Amino acid sequence: MTEKISADESKSSSPKQKINLNRLEMPKQEPGERRSNFNEVATGYTYEMAIEEANRCIQCKKRNCQAGCPVNIDIPDFIRNLREGNIEEASRVLKKKTSLPGICGRVCPQELQCEHACTLNKKGAPIAIGRLERYIADWERSQGGFTIPEMAPSSGKRVAVVGSGPSGLTVASDLAVRGHNVTMFEALHVAGGVLMYGIPQFRLPKEIVQREVEYVRRLGVEIFLDTVIGINFSLDELLNTKYDAVYLATGAGLPMFMQIPGENLNMIYSANEFLTRTNLMKAYLYPQYATPIKMGKRVAVIGGGNVAMDSARCAVRLGAREVNIIYRRTRAEMPARLEEAENAEEEGINFHFLCTPTAFISDGRNNVSAMEMIRMGLGEPDASGRRRPVPIEGSNYAIEVDTVVVSLGTSPNPLIASRTPDLETSRKGTVIVDEKGKTSKARVWAGGDIVSGGATVISAMGEGRRAAMAMHEYLTQ
Amino acid sequence: MFPIHAHKELALGVHRMSVKAPIVASRAEPGQFIILIVDEKGERVPFTISGWDRDAGTVDFVYLEVGNTTRQLAALKPGDELAHFVGPLGRPAELGSFGHVVALASGYGIGAMVPILKALKEMGNRITTIMQAPDMNRSFGEEELLSVSDRLIKAFGDQTDDSPASATGAMRMLLADQASDPVARVVLMGSLCVMRLVSEMTRPYGIKTMVHLTPLMVDGTGMCGACRLSVKGSNRFACVHGPEFDGHEVEGWDLLMSRRCTYADETALQQSFQCRGCSQW
Repeated sequence: MTEKISADESKSSSPKQKINLNRLEMPKQEPGERRSNFNEVATGYTYEMAIEEANRCIQCKKRNCQAGCPVNIDIPDFIRNLREGNIEEASRVLKKKTSLPGICGRVCPQELQCEHACTLNKKGAPIAIGRLERYIADWERSQGGFTIPEMAPSSGKRVAVVGSGPSGLTVASDLAVRGHNVTMFEALHVAGGVLMYGIPQFRLPKEIVQREVEYVRRLGVEIFLDTVIGINFSLDELLNTKYDAVYLATGAGLPMFMQIPGENLNMIYSANEFLTRTNLMKAYLYPQYATPIKMGKRVAVIGGGNVAMDSARCAVRLGAREVNIIYRRTRAEMPARLEEAENAEEEGINFHFLCTPTAFISDGRNNVSAMEMIRMGLGEPDASGRRRPVPIEGSNYAIEVDTVVVSLGTSPNPLIASRTPDLETSRKGTVIVDEKGKTSKARVWAGGDIVSGGATVISAMGEGRRAAMAMHEYLTQ
Repeated sequence: MFPIHAHKELALGVHRMSVKAPIVASRAEPGQFIILIVDEKGERVPFTISGWDRDAGTVDFVYLEVGNTTRQLAALKPGDELAHFVGPLGRPAELGSFGHVVALASGYGIGAMVPILKALKEMGNRITTIMQAPDMNRSFGEEELLSVSDRLIKAFGDQTDDSPASATGAMRMLLADQASDPVARVVLMGSLCVMRLVSEMTRPYGIKTMVHLTPLMVDGTGMCGACRLSVKGSNRFACVHGPEFDGHEVEGWDLLMSRRCTYADETALQQSFQCRGCSQW
């Protein structure tokens, strides 16, 4: 993040208080040090730092920051409580709107949401809202207990939530607080979804995710692990037996590949496999944990999203000598958060723009040893509004690699939709919903990546929040 | 937690484990698999189901001790508990009334083939089964296979390919009878090498040949793509599109073999896992 040095006073503010336009940076592990460990990169504000940053807030009457938050957190209120030293109350304010503050504070793209909307952003650096949220969540965790909100009396209604990622956790806690009896089903052996298998430890420690899952449990939500809806119970069985309503949040699904020659050679991973082995299965602690991961020395990560950044940064920590991110457009079109790309760069990861592999070459023993590449130019804007990459004829070249991670997104897992004919899906296989998350099927709502096809943790939570409101309305009719 | 209901060594390094998992048992079908995790630090390992008891809520599978996790499993006793057990995963084997069905099973397949053959036999098929073992001393599961077969041929891996007592030799012999006793369908569950060889043997006859593939998996629900393979020009995932495929449509057997051996050098206990002539060794 570029620091604004100018300290000119904002004219709209009260005359007695001088506004500080510089935000307080959060301490981070040095790049050289963090390259060789999976500990969290950003170490968080101290109490003094949090208060100093909170004191910058001008407590606007018009709450632009709150409007910019997908789950509408009462941001000025928690900041005010924090700087008055009332951290417990600040925590309560947060918990009114999010069950996952420790997660949101770390992985939300605040620069596009609350902080983007912050009044100070017009003149200088916006309040570091994400860092303050994280500070409060970490403080609560350090106190040992849980700040449990006021619970509504039991409604006698039962809700099934399918998938325990950010969207499912949001719906489960929102509905539990409103008095409904919530059961959550998770196919994997731990709850948390992408927060566990996808986002790496050094960006989001798994202890924090499990702590927030435990909070949702404390709200009375029952979680069944190792249970695959679509196999163990069909959607119709859930609806016809115990449950009055169902929320589908099964997540991203099947990894996409490039469909070019040699893609199934050994040492070519999907980002999902690479990250699942590393994060969920803790392959970086092999053999203490039983799941291994094979890593080479020269790694190529194909793609420019946050998942590509995470994969590249995991590869560095797993001992790769050289890690290259290959992206077919330019830095400007890269979908990854700027902060994550900067972190990756600091850790010595090389970026190659405007190029793409056209084939993977074997070493003769079915291991990848090189990639045939072609350079790209940018043509007219495509459906996404970004300029379409066009191969430049005759620009072929080759680079040596011994490990490849393909990070091109995912397509929805068809398990439930294919067995539920009256659940309407798009041509891409995503579940179709209205603006409140309602699907075509009676009593079924959906949200998160199964609807969007692949987006952020906070947007999945926002969709969960909206659907939970609609479900609550339906359940209390 | 999933308690172990019964555990028995069938032959040297080959075990049958029965696990209490009522939800899995209630839905199990022939040819499907489960994924288990021994303890909280364990890996996710898939095993093909070789039987179930819906009333008792138990699910059985046969496994070979080949790596760290299977060695850990072998040390467990009835009453011990597995941390996680999920399934039934994958699509069930394709069943139908075909006529004369030839099955070839080796290793874990000797156990896991039984539910498939039982269902095929109940549907009126005539079953000829070739069971393959490394040698006479390491043979097991004969009785169970016999109970679901009309004819059982024993083949040993220490026999050369042209011997009628080898699996491929026995298959060749059955195919030679195609005029008088035609084979309508072949089902294979064993080593990749043998499944590949037999698929090539049946191709000229146009006999539909189903292979049960066991590539490496991590999540087993379609999320990671570790088990991908090329089938008829498109990428398929063994965990959700398989594990049964038409052997004549499977492409890149060499790749499949190499991918299967990715981690063999780190965890393989048995020298015999390192197949002769395999490009990986």
